[in-house]
Amino acid sequence: MRFIIQTLVIALVAYVLERFVGWWGIAVAAALGGYFLRTRMNFLAGFVGVGLLWLLLALYTDAASANGLANRVADIFTIPKTLLVLVTVLVGGVVGGFAALTGARLHPKKRNSVYH
Amino acid sequence: MFRVIPPLLATLILVYLLNNSWVIGNNRIPPLGKFLDPVSGFWKNAEPDGYRGPENITLTNLEGEVHVTYDSLLIPHIFAATEADLYLVQGYVTATHRLWQMEFQIHASSGRLSSILGVGQDSAILKYDRKQRRLGIPVAAERALNEMMKDNRTALAVERCTQGVNQYIQSLTYANLPLEYKLMDYQPEPWTTLKCAYLLKSMCQTLNMGDKDIQMTNALALYGPEMVELLYPDNEPGVDPVVDNPGGWDFEPVTLDGVPPALPEELIRIAGLTSPNPNVGSNNWVVSGAKTASGAPILCNDPHLNTTLPSVWYAAQLNAPGVNVMGVGFPGAPGIIIGFNDSIAWGVTNAQRDLIDWYKITYEDASRSKYQLNGEWKPTEKRIEEIKIRGHESFYDTVVYTQWGPVVYDRNFGGKREPHDYAFRWISHDPSNELLTFYGLNRAKKYEDFMNALDHFKAPGQNFVFASVSGDIAVRIQGKYPVRRPLEGKFALDGSKSSNGWQAFIPDRQNVTMKNPERGFVSSANQYPADSTYPYYVTASDFEAYRNRRINNTLRSSASIKVEDMMLLQNDNYSIKAEESLPSMLTALDSLPLSPAEQEIVQQLKAWNYNNDKDAVEATYYDAWWNNIMRLTWDEVIKADVALQMPTSFNTIRLMKEQPDLKFFDVMETEARENARDVIRLAFRKTINDLEEWKRRRGNSIRWADYKDTYIQHLARLEPLGRHVQHGGNDECVNASARTYGPSWRMIVSLDKSGIKARATYPGGQSGNPGSKHYDDLLPAWSTGTYHELHFMKTTNDSATLYYSTIFTPDKP
Repeated sequence: MRFIIQTLVIALVAYVLERFVGWWGIAVAAALGGYFLRTRMNFLAGFVGVGLLWLLLALYTDAASANGLANRVADIFTIPKTLLVLVTVLVGGVVGGFAALTGARLHPKKRNSVYH
Repeated sequence: MFRVIPPLLATLILVYLLNNSWVIGNNRIPPLGKFLDPVSGFWKNAEPDGYRGPENITLTNLEGEVHVTYDSLLIPHIFAATEADLYLVQGYVTATHRLWQMEFQIHASSGRLSSILGVGQDSAILKYDRKQRRLGIPVAAERALNEMMKDNRTALAVERCTQGVNQYIQSLTYANLPLEYKLMDYQPEPWTTLKCAYLLKSMCQTLNMGDKDIQMTNALALYGPEMVELLYPDNEPGVDPVVDNPGGWDFEPVTLDGVPPALPEELIRIAGLTSPNPNVGSNNWVVSGAKTASGAPILCNDPHLNTTLPSVWYAAQLNAPGVNVMGVGFPGAPGIIIGFNDSIAWGVTNAQRDLIDWYKITYEDASRSKYQLNGEWKPTEKRIEEIKIRGHESFYDTVVYTQWGPVVYDRNFGGKREPHDYAFRWISHDPSNELLTFYGLNRAKKYEDFMNALDHFKAPGQNFVFASVSGDIAVRIQGKYPVRRPLEGKFALDGSKSSNGWQAFIPDRQNVTMKNPERGFVSSANQYPADSTYPYYVTASDFEAYRNRRINNTLRSSASIKVEDMMLLQNDNYSIKAEESLPSMLTALDSLPLSPAEQEIVQQLKAWNYNNDKDAVEATYYDAWWNNIMRLTWDEVIKADVALQMPTSFNTIRLMKEQPDLKFFDVMETEARENARDVIRLAFRKTINDLEEWKRRRGNSIRWADYKDTYIQHLARLEPLGRHVQHGGNDECVNASARTYGPSWRMIVSLDKSGIKARATYPGGQSGNPGSKHYDDLLPAWSTGTYHELHFMKTTNDSATLYYSTIFTPDKP
């Protein structure tokens, strides 16, 4: 459950932050999500959070687009469109994942601390 | 705590790698993080259907409010209260839709593509840039700007247009950058008034850099003057000149004193300029009210250019006190270049004329600091061109200038080891202010205004046609043309005598002109300008021989002409060239043993109606066969190790019929001595084989539209951003659509007294954004020969036109 919250928060904050600072806002958002909402699977939270955000946004944009731009861009890179979407998700996801992990490990308190 | 270092490093390294572009092989991969981000990357450029721009925009330097109404074709109708505001907003709006195109074209014209693209494969981009510098394009643009700034009206127009473009650039963030900037990873730079000048010079390069002087000089040395006259006649017999007015040239012509320059004798081993594509040309014609059903004149124009996406032209309506004009212009330059206003309409076709001469330069020594002129050693000027290269050190190219112009080819560029260099004299290097002509045409109300506006026009020479609501029609060939005696300017010249230069120019009002001719129409299609009684010698790299006759034949034999008839004529696929050559070609096959399949093809060709329609397989056979005949006949030209030019198809057909034993019909490769008939037969066999091969490689259809493969290519040659189109026509047809060249704008204007009505189409769309539906929404109509009605708004409240509107308000200081 906490994992789901972490993932969703990362996605939301990434969406907001990106508009202000640019694409790398996803890293900041994921790091914050990793720091404040640490779980056992921080990398995955960052990966899925940003990856899913980018996936949904890309698919929505593509569905609404009037002139099939994604198909054309995929052709420019000589890859199929699904691969273009996949790379989009991977790029966002991998950055999000490492950033979340970084945030989590920055936190001084260990998640399951031996000492109370 | 140290466990944080690996993921931290990974994150930082990834962000760094994905935030920058990387060159792999010859390709630049864009910064993937930025580029693939759906919030601000390329995904953002995908416009949804029904996308509308902002309703309100605030601009600085505006004097009042400006209303821009967009119609459903995304043509902006700009209503301003002052001229300054009009051009400012025209600049802003054009940049909104075409910024990348404007910038890229300027970089190409000014020889700065290397700063975006690097040197390119085999340094092709660097060579391109060096050539642009050495042709003196930057010098020409600087001189043009100087002239533009001397006149208040054009100075205001370019300054305000520039401000408008810059305000758009300043409003950009990464998210709303045009796609190509994101792909190629660079940013727009500030627009300048100099760049408006580059736009005009870029057109000059496209239209009046046709030249064959070096080729003619070599032909003279190899074949002698009689053969040169036979192969390259200046005025080919049988064509219809733009103005046929024997004995009607009622003025005192300028004559030259002194002896004409001597004919050169040597071979010149430099390349000569790449010929502009012979398909660059255009059609225009005007029919007077006496021949139309409505009684109003109809003016038609279709300029033929390299058809690209974003489209060459940008349509707009401009309205301010004193001006209400609509049509198309060059993105980034103020005003309308082809169009109409409340009272008149005008159009242009390229006026073929040789406006280049090459002058042999003798230097004092290897330093090239002095050259011989009139018995003295005159100093040269060396201009050092810095060519910036992306990611590398700049390349410096020294270009030697003489009083004639720059030395384009020398020991450092394109020249073999030669004792002489040749300087390049080009009319477009001379200062002039063409923008003033368009300023005048935009506001013209009658014939006199048209004539006065044209007096400012120096280059590139154009055949201007004109019509007014009051009923006048006219054609005027206008440009700054050197006065020449027979054969002058056809060959290279000795640059050590200033008497070999252009001593005088044809007075503007002695240029070929015709107003309200008896035949009731005027027309031009890049053919020879006048009848043989015109007192000035005219030569050019080539003249058109077919389209003009088809147009004139049709107009001569028509009455009660309607707009629909004009649409049909602009889309006419009939080939007079095929009509005049195919029967002889087929006769040459008599008694040649043919397979059943070949006989079938011959029967089809015999039955063909000479229309290059989409489905016509005959058109494919004919076109391929004719091209093979040309290549086999003129193999001497193709294989020569000096620059030579192929004679025209028109002349080749004539020689084929009248001089079939001419030595050129001999195919060099073979032992036997061929004549015209042999060449036609050899070409036929080769054509059958070629087309079989073509079918194997490219799919089974050799329908004309599939073989021709009309292709609207993207400006940066990104294949997926271009469009393949099914379309008929060919360069010798009125519908002069070849593979990548064709009618870039088709306009038909009916000058009804009740209100001018215009219809138009072009192969592309108003938006330069490949992600917008307006990138290519005009293409279907163009490819099917249909037209859109142009909404010529009277007031800004005309809601019938409205798709959405943007109101520009001044920034409060």
